[in-house]
Amino acid sequence: MNVDSALEFLAGTPFAKAISQGAMAFPMLECVHVVAIAAVVGTIAIVDLRLLGYRSHRRGVRQLVRDLLPYTWASFAIALLAGSLLFLSNAPKYAHNTQFQLKMLLILAAAVNMAVFHLTVYRRIQEWDERSPAPVAARLAGATSLGLWLAVVFLGRWVGFTL
Amino acid sequence: MDMHSLTEVIYGTALSSAIRDNSWVVPLVQSIHIVAIAVVLSCALVTELRIAGVVAPDESMEVVAQRYLPWMWRALAVLLATGLVMIIGEPERTLGNAIFWIKMALVSAGVLASLGLRRPLLRPASSPGKSPAKVLAWALLALWVAVIFCGRWIAYSN
Repeated sequence: MNVDSALEFLAGTPFAKAISQGAMAFPMLECVHVVAIAAVVGTIAIVDLRLLGYRSHRRGVRQLVRDLLPYTWASFAIALLAGSLLFLSNAPKYAHNTQFQLKMLLILAAAVNMAVFHLTVYRRIQEWDERSPAPVAARLAGATSLGLWLAVVFLGRWVGFTL
Repeated sequence: MDMHSLTEVIYGTALSSAIRDNSWVVPLVQSIHIVAIAVVLSCALVTELRIAGVVAPDESMEVVAQRYLPWMWRALAVLLATGLVMIIGEPERTLGNAIFWIKMALVSAGVLASLGLRRPLLRPASSPGKSPAKVLAWALLALWVAVIFCGRWIAYSN
């Protein structure tokens, strides 16, 4: 069984059909997806902008990350869940959509960027916690993150126009 | 002039057809709209959760509100501008839509509440413990989420 027939099978399940054919399910999932994405991108942007030198409600980056990261992760989990259900409703079409593929790739890139940031320059946070703007490596991570997440939002909206 | 003839006048303008004829305009403007929504929602999230005592309770409310309120107003201006482009491009879909007007009423309520009701509550003198500020904070957060729901539903109602 190849990927395409697996996706066809998924989209054909009664559960997936309930999402694609019901009057309420798809729009409601979209609403949840937009709220969750707004919280993900917004809370990440507050940290990114702090790294770039814009003040937040905390002096230190570490405290800011501690304040916001739980909300970023919780929102990301909700966005992922709602997004997966939207995907399920028309799996083969989403999977073959260029904008959708690029969006997934950029989310992956944002994850790698975040992992690199946390494993490198964030390890030495006590040396630059209250410095603003942050060191070059941290600023670079912030700018990359900001750019990637903006692109993710644009691509996400574009999926709706190209599917 | 009733709403329907107004939407027809807007629809007939050169600007309106220019927005519709360039297929990239609406997706681009909607994307900017969503980014601005992210700014408003997250600024509201931090500010309201601080007032509710959930986030950064050791940081003063004034500092938190002063950091994020200016960003909220800027993002609201962007939302107004991009929203206007969408209205001009597809006037009947928006102005002729009940959900759109519910959304506008909720936005007005949110802005007025943020402006008028919260400012006195931010004074250091007010007791943050059991004040109505906490209730208002949760209500405002729920209101912004409802605004986003209405925004998405504009595309489906009619």
